[in-house]
Amino acid sequence: MNGTALPPDVEAVLRRFYTCEFTTVARDGQPMTWPSVPYFNPETGMIVCAVSIAFAAKAYNARRHPQVSLLFSDPTGSKLSDPPAVLVQGEAQVDEVLEYGPDIIGLFKTVAARQPDSRRFTTNPIVRRLFIWYLFQRISLTVTPRRILVWPKGDFTSEPIEIEPGHVV
Amino acid sequence: MWSEPLAADIAEYGSAVLSWVEPSGAPISIRCRVRLQPGTHTITFEGLAPIAGAWRGKACLLFHMHDARLEGLRQMVVKGELAPAADGSLEFRATEFVTANGRPGTDRMPHAGAPLHMFQFYRLGRSKAKAYLAKRSAPWPPIPFEQIARDVGRAQEADQAQEADQANKAGQANEADRD
Repeated sequence: MNGTALPPDVEAVLRRFYTCEFTTVARDGQPMTWPSVPYFNPETGMIVCAVSIAFAAKAYNARRHPQVSLLFSDPTGSKLSDPPAVLVQGEAQVDEVLEYGPDIIGLFKTVAARQPDSRRFTTNPIVRRLFIWYLFQRISLTVTPRRILVWPKGDFTSEPIEIEPGHVV
Repeated sequence: MWSEPLAADIAEYGSAVLSWVEPSGAPISIRCRVRLQPGTHTITFEGLAPIAGAWRGKACLLFHMHDARLEGLRQMVVKGELAPAADGSLEFRATEFVTANGRPGTDRMPHAGAPLHMFQFYRLGRSKAKAYLAKRSAPWPPIPFEQIARDVGRAQEADQAQEADQANKAGQANEADRD
């Protein structure tokens, strides 16, 4: 999927919502949903999230069961007016963050912009060392979208519109 | 485990995210308004999305909120099952509350402004991280902090330049419209 292939209002949601609700499936078939900061790479159409190695259940689940979903339904902070709600179902690739390519830098940049107080942690060498397990020792979940559902104006009482994810780079 | 303090917190959220797993294995979620039925472990829905009408079996409800600076974080998950209610509507039978902060009785995430909670979170996280690293075959490589800071700074500058360019183009388009 090339990001430009998406309708502008859908791409805006993927770019600007602060959090998505990220669902993985546990070993016993139990869905587990937690909020996560997503980074949408418009060049590749992939969506990247990351978890600390200390709280890696999401990564373990996705490694075992790669089918995941990301719901973008909370516009708080996005400054978008009447945005749609967007569900992305896809497959997650799970990797320890040992290299710092465009996706991870994009994610770090996104967190810094959306949560400005987090800079107190990332820029202080002592705090950075104390919380290295939370800030930098992370596992990425890179999601290739396979199906996208859109609820205009975030109205879930309406039937969703399905969008073709198309080609993923 | 059921938690009365967390159950009481449900009323403070305007909505929740309901998730289920489709027969294909793909998880799916919708946002919904919920109500905890007094004296029971049952949650009912108000104006549930039609797409969820046929969902049955294992499900979860996520409650979360944050402010416009991504602070004031609160989050908790309720695990349970979706089943038909006596009146034919769908209800959620809760079985367990899960928090992400290492404390079972509150959905508030630790914050630098609450040193005790931050210390508890630090101890929990460090302990779990040590366990992860112990299972790893090799130590985690050194983190290139300076390189990361430099690359994030460059990415931020590129974003700012792009935004300025877009604003400039929008301004030029407006001027052209006026002409």
